[in-house]
Amino acid sequence: MGPLSRLAPKPVKFVLNWGRRYSLWVFNFGLACCAIEFIATSMSRHDFIRLGVIPFAPGPRQADLMVVSGTVSDKMAPAVRRLYEQMPEPKYVISFGACSNCGGPYWDSYCVTKGVDQIIPVDVYVPGCPPRPEALLHGIVRLQDKIAGESLGDRYAPSNGVGGEPVAPPPAPRPLSATVLRRPVQPPPDAGETRPLPPPLADESPAEEPPAEESTAEAPTRETPVVRPTEDVTQPVPPVEDEGTPDRADRNEHDPSIIPGLAEDGHDDEIGRDR
Amino acid sequence: MSPEPAAQALTEAWTARFGDEITTEETFGGRAVGVPPEHWLDALTFARDDLSCGYFDWLTGVDELDEGFAVVVHVYSLERRHHLLIRTRVPKRAPVLPTATGVYRGAEWHERETSEMFGVLFEGHPNLVPLLLPDGFEGHPLRKDFVLAARVAKPWPGAKEPGESGHGAPSRRRVRPPGVPDDWGPHA
Ligand code: SF4
Repeated sequence: MGPLSRLAPKPVKFVLNWGRRYSLWVFNFGLACCAIEFIATSMSRHDFIRLGVIPFAPGPRQADLMVVSGTVSDKMAPAVRRLYEQMPEPKYVISFGACSNCGGPYWDSYCVTKGVDQIIPVDVYVPGCPPRPEALLHGIVRLQDKIAGESLGDRYAPSNGVGGEPVAPPPAPRPLSATVLRRPVQPPPDAGETRPLPPPLADESPAEEPPAEESTAEAPTRETPVVRPTEDVTQPVPPVEDEGTPDRADRNEHDPSIIPGLAEDGHDDEIGRDR
Repeated sequence: MSPEPAAQALTEAWTARFGDEITTEETFGGRAVGVPPEHWLDALTFARDDLSCGYFDWLTGVDELDEGFAVVVHVYSLERRHHLLIRTRVPKRAPVLPTATGVYRGAEWHERETSEMFGVLFEGHPNLVPLLLPDGFEGHPLRKDFVLAARVAKPWPGAKEPGESGHGAPSRRRVRPPGVPDDWGPHA
């Protein structure tokens, strides 16, 4: 829909923009006191649903609009950026309040980001500390005007020099690969004592080469790795060792490495030990 | 103002245990007991076991400039309903204190925060790494000699009266922002 809408005739563009501007699923990045005003705007008295802003998207992946309301700290900034990147295109950002506009009352703080526009592109700024709900309504209307006037083809065009108002460019490619940002895949918990070990590369590679000729040779070798015979020499960790230490076997049942930092020891409250 | 009988009994219990080594004082935050750093763990254990202060509320630090850093603990007795502020002072040159995590396990994160904010080292702490500051942060930002670099780079953007722009009263600009040394900044 995005690149093709450039070729669409004008009435179709109008309809597409009309649909987009009145169904903004909003995702509230509430970080401080301004979030309360955002909530007030979503409630019955101000009720921004009548403008087509649908609050409480299930998550950033379902949202069209992110409202950053509150104090962005340097520690939080990567999370803001990451959740912004998770939103599907086309996406819009309203910076709500003095803090997320420029740092606000904490302009000289050691830990506050001086404006959320340092990390993500912002479409509409709403000033105030906190802004009144009417100010957010005004900001939403301004954003809808902007959506009505834009063309997605121009928005994602490589050189975007023609439009009147500059629109948010697509974000730069992320420096980390997606696997770094995700938790490692955990083995199923019912494995218990004989956890499925990763198949060693040394005996996997000869098994991989023959299947080019006949696929039946692969079938018996494929079934064995889950419960591996103990006489296998290349097995990295024999499961017998795990039975010797009872607490280690106990920990295998609920794998603590799901939470970073818990894997090293038995304490529950030492999150962040391995940073 | 004479202290209430219960508070008086608390003071007497401290004096009976530690003698002249401690000072007690009535503050706005409740009864405060000052102990030397050598008796820090003894005092906490005494408060927990003998004064039944089993509820650990918080631990923090105070930068008292030349006198060093004060480390303050607030504990509360759920049974007997009394508060206690226990505090000690470590020198600025070598701010080292034994960890209170052996007495109150909940002190762990508080000590991590105090350590990163004030640079107080808690000996024996199981995991003394920064808790709240972003990765790679240098310095201890709640020390009073920590310079807020944003103040150096940029004058205060506000105005005292509505409608007053930042361009009025140029003489005020010459004044250094609080806490910024004289040889910092563009006008140095
Ligand atoms: S702008 Fe004011 S009201 Fe909003 S988060 Fe910052 S301090 Fe709170």
